[in-house]
Amino acid sequence: MPVLLTLGADLGSTASKCVIMQDGRKIAAQTTIPVGAGTSGPSRAIAESLAACGKNLADMHMVCATGYGRHSMTDAHMEVSELSCHARGAFFLFPKARTVIDIGGQDAKVLRLSGGRLNNFVMNDKCAAGTGRFLEVMAKVLEVETADLAEWGAQSTAPVSISSTCTVFAESEVISHLAVAADRRDIIAGIHKSVAHRVAGLVRRVGAEPLVIMTGGVARNAGVRLELEAAIATPISVSPLAQFNGALGAALLAHDRLLQQL
Amino acid sequence: MSGIEAKLQRFAAIADDLEGQLKKYTDQGVKVIGCMPVYTPQELVHAAGMLPLSIWGSEKYELIEAKKYFPAYISSLAQSCLELGLRGRLDRLAGVIIPVLSDALKCLSQNWKAGVPQVRHIQLVHPQNRRIEPGIVFLSKQYKKIAGVLEDIAGAPITPAGLKKAIHVFNEHRAVMREFTAVAADYPHLISPLARNAVIKSGGLMPRAEHARMVRELMAECRAEPKEPWKGRKVVLTGMLADSPSMLRILTDYKLAVAGDDVGQESRQFRTDVPDDPDPYRALALQWANIEGCSVAFDPERKRGRMVADLAARTGASGVIYLLTKFCDPEEFDYPIMKKEFDRAGLPSVLIEIDQQMRNYAQPRTAVQTFADMLG
Amino acid sequence: MSQNPQETPVPAKTLLANLAANAYSDAWEAKKRGEKVGWCASNFPQELTTTLGVKVVYPENQAAAIAAKGGGLGHCEHAEGLGYSNDICAYARINLAFMDRQSCEEMNMPMPDFVLCCNNICNCMIKWYESISRELNIPFILLDVPYNSEFETDDDTLEYMWAQFQYAVKQLEEITGKKWSEKRFKEVRDISLRTSRAWLKAAGYCQCEPSPLNGFDLFNHMAVAVCARGTVEAAEAFEKLAEEYAQAAKEGASTYKGEQKFRILFEGIACWPYLRATSAPLKENGVNVTATVYATAFGFLYDDNPLSMMRAYTHVPNAISVERAARMRIDVGRRNKIDGAVIHNNRSCKLWSGIMPEIDRRIQAELKIPTVTFDGDQADPRNFSEEQYKTRIQALVEVMTENKKGKKQ
Repeated sequence: MPVLLTLGADLGSTASKCVIMQDGRKIAAQTTIPVGAGTSGPSRAIAESLAACGKNLADMHMVCATGYGRHSMTDAHMEVSELSCHARGAFFLFPKARTVIDIGGQDAKVLRLSGGRLNNFVMNDKCAAGTGRFLEVMAKVLEVETADLAEWGAQSTAPVSISSTCTVFAESEVISHLAVAADRRDIIAGIHKSVAHRVAGLVRRVGAEPLVIMTGGVARNAGVRLELEAAIATPISVSPLAQFNGALGAALLAHDRLLQQL
Repeated sequence: MSGIEAKLQRFAAIADDLEGQLKKYTDQGVKVIGCMPVYTPQELVHAAGMLPLSIWGSEKYELIEAKKYFPAYISSLAQSCLELGLRGRLDRLAGVIIPVLSDALKCLSQNWKAGVPQVRHIQLVHPQNRRIEPGIVFLSKQYKKIAGVLEDIAGAPITPAGLKKAIHVFNEHRAVMREFTAVAADYPHLISPLARNAVIKSGGLMPRAEHARMVRELMAECRAEPKEPWKGRKVVLTGMLADSPSMLRILTDYKLAVAGDDVGQESRQFRTDVPDDPDPYRALALQWANIEGCSVAFDPERKRGRMVADLAARTGASGVIYLLTKFCDPEEFDYPIMKKEFDRAGLPSVLIEIDQQMRNYAQPRTAVQTFADMLG
Repeated sequence: MSQNPQETPVPAKTLLANLAANAYSDAWEAKKRGEKVGWCASNFPQELTTTLGVKVVYPENQAAAIAAKGGGLGHCEHAEGLGYSNDICAYARINLAFMDRQSCEEMNMPMPDFVLCCNNICNCMIKWYESISRELNIPFILLDVPYNSEFETDDDTLEYMWAQFQYAVKQLEEITGKKWSEKRFKEVRDISLRTSRAWLKAAGYCQCEPSPLNGFDLFNHMAVAVCARGTVEAAEAFEKLAEEYAQAAKEGASTYKGEQKFRILFEGIACWPYLRATSAPLKENGVNVTATVYATAFGFLYDDNPLSMMRAYTHVPNAISVERAARMRIDVGRRNKIDGAVIHNNRSCKLWSGIMPEIDRRIQAELKIPTVTFDGDQADPRNFSEEQYKTRIQALVEVMTENKKGKKQ
């Protein structure tokens, strides 16, 4: 049997991720570009992945798009919601996963898996608190790179309280902390706590059944993860591939589809 | 174009044109009374020789004028009803009945008086102790009072015989609509979720007898077609409102057919007939007493969850979509207990927040697509 | 805890605080004795339970206390985890969280054997109590107060309410095994009237210049006015309070510390999680609250006709039309000589806030005073911004200062 190549593209609101898989088992390439749907990000992410394994798009046996911009990817053979992709990716990385928490740019969601199948999920309400976007806004206010938030927060000794649900209010809360010369590290730790609490509310709606895993870009932020572990009183596992989990799931679902068609 | 398609387009054109319907009938010299969500005694309006027009807000206008009266966290349904009035889009109404079944509707009634004085406000307070005799008596009296106002507007009396006839017309219409929801479930390849809603919604925007005739004709044509196995899944919709075309098209995109509904604008309007009673005002009050499973009708047992689960079982639906009108607190309160009922019944469900001014359906689309995947 | 008037006088403030606390300890003791105890809506006619000698506690009151002690966030988050939307009234979320956990650090109360609900506060109350009744599988007693779009309440409404009241008597007799006594009912009404009059009298001292009380005090005393009205102790405590205010007014003293430069209406429920944050900027600017709708709202005055008592319960702040609601503010504002108003745009209370912009316009038009609206919440700490509040108070003070200059010239 020839090698089956599948490509998964996760075109998120803030980043574009691409994964190419061999036979649904081995990752042949993975790339991420820090701009999302509607920008040059998607095509760049795909081009870089293809280049990394020396292939063309035509060599892909099945291409699956997911994420915010999934409908606009004309080269895709199929498009699947990022929730199904995260469920599939999580099952690949952690076969025992029961609960998947994905904090994306626009949406936070919690998935319940059973035997690798998605059988319940909740998404955040119409409010940016508790999403990646919220963290970005706050990082900007604090003049810190989003990627460095975790490191800053880890040095906090006395986290401040950031309680506002509304991003605008939270911003003013942060600014008033800055105005009284609160330590930025303490403010950042407070922000992490606030995001974690918002997401913990969602987790409670489906229950935090172990194994709990976290995916998506925010999973790399250890500050949020630790606060979330505390809030749900359950350990959370994170794969180094967390950020690629959606794209990985898309590539796996593409492979599943190929097998069905054979 | 098939006869069915042409008919569905006609329903869609009516459902989509509240203002056009208002113009059409007032141009004919018919007096029209606006009926705001959720329940109004439309039989009284009919008996006074006027047309009751069901108003369920509008997706067409951004909330601009309404912001002068409402804070942001009031349901868009109440806000857009007021927006229509404030923009003068309902000036042709001879009056508007605003029932105060929720806190947002109470505010709507007061803001209407303040902001839309050109359209006469008719107050309607449903008793919440609706099943005990004093409640039934109170509501009968309310209806009599409203009848007096309507007589005044119409310049014509409401006779007991005329009211009984009106009740008969409306009960007939209810029966036809119940039949239609069954036909729509049987022929999902002919009647999409959007078309289904249009057929139902248009009923509130034209004379009921005429609508019943049109629906009967549509059903006859559907029944002449062969039934086809549905390739997708069937779901039950629950919520106050499910008339957003964008939302309903998403269901079609992921092959979800509507097997039945528990929607405020839809089946809740025609699930419960007006019972027989020598006193027609009491008969109308008894209907309110008999309503079951509605978020704005007092029910300490909260039967709604079981009712929706039973509906799903009866209609072969494999899941429930809870369309939550954002900030509609009666519906928000019902959800957690209903969710438990669904889980207990092993019935998959998904909660989707919507509002009438929503322009970006990315999150609902993702949720529906995932839900469809989940149903397999 | 009976007071001997010969001993050192206990201040009314302490008497009232004790009374509020006693309501809870009484309920605990009743529960221990095996009596049925209820959860009750604050504006439910307390004449019913007081006459029957049935103990009840008040979830709204508990929720406010939990919020004031900093427990709002934890409770709200817990309720949201149960599936309750964060748009739902925070009192309801806090109480539903408490119901689920059955205890908390901030303030415990016995679990209910029945609920008493009255929607002259809001219809949200019915939904909230439905959830309790269903989740705990306990009886629901509803006194439905039809929302009144007119200025006066009609007899149909009063007769419907009175019939329900009598029905509720039967229901509660059956649930608790206690017996209704018309004689006791009359006593309770007389005592309640005495309390109401004393409360109105005490609150009326806000009219004095300077006011002998910090208007925020009323938020604390209100609980007793609402819930314990039918007890002699409450009547005496409020009479004492009125005496203290009378004395202070004579001496020019006040529980408001500092010069009272401006007098305002504070409109809406208190922002319990931020009592200090909302009162401090007022104090810093010499602003005293001399008007709230509570001042008059909970003086339930009625005569011996039962319909008259029912009427009193249709005139509470949230059960009335925009015309009557505006009138209530304008009257108290004029009587209590306000220079401005601070309006709480309270995310928890859709009914109150949903007609407030119109009431605000009417207040401004009729009293010719500046008003300022701030975003907040009665119990969810996530919906308030201290910075926004401070800025708006400052702006209000600037306008009031200009106005005073204008008047002097």
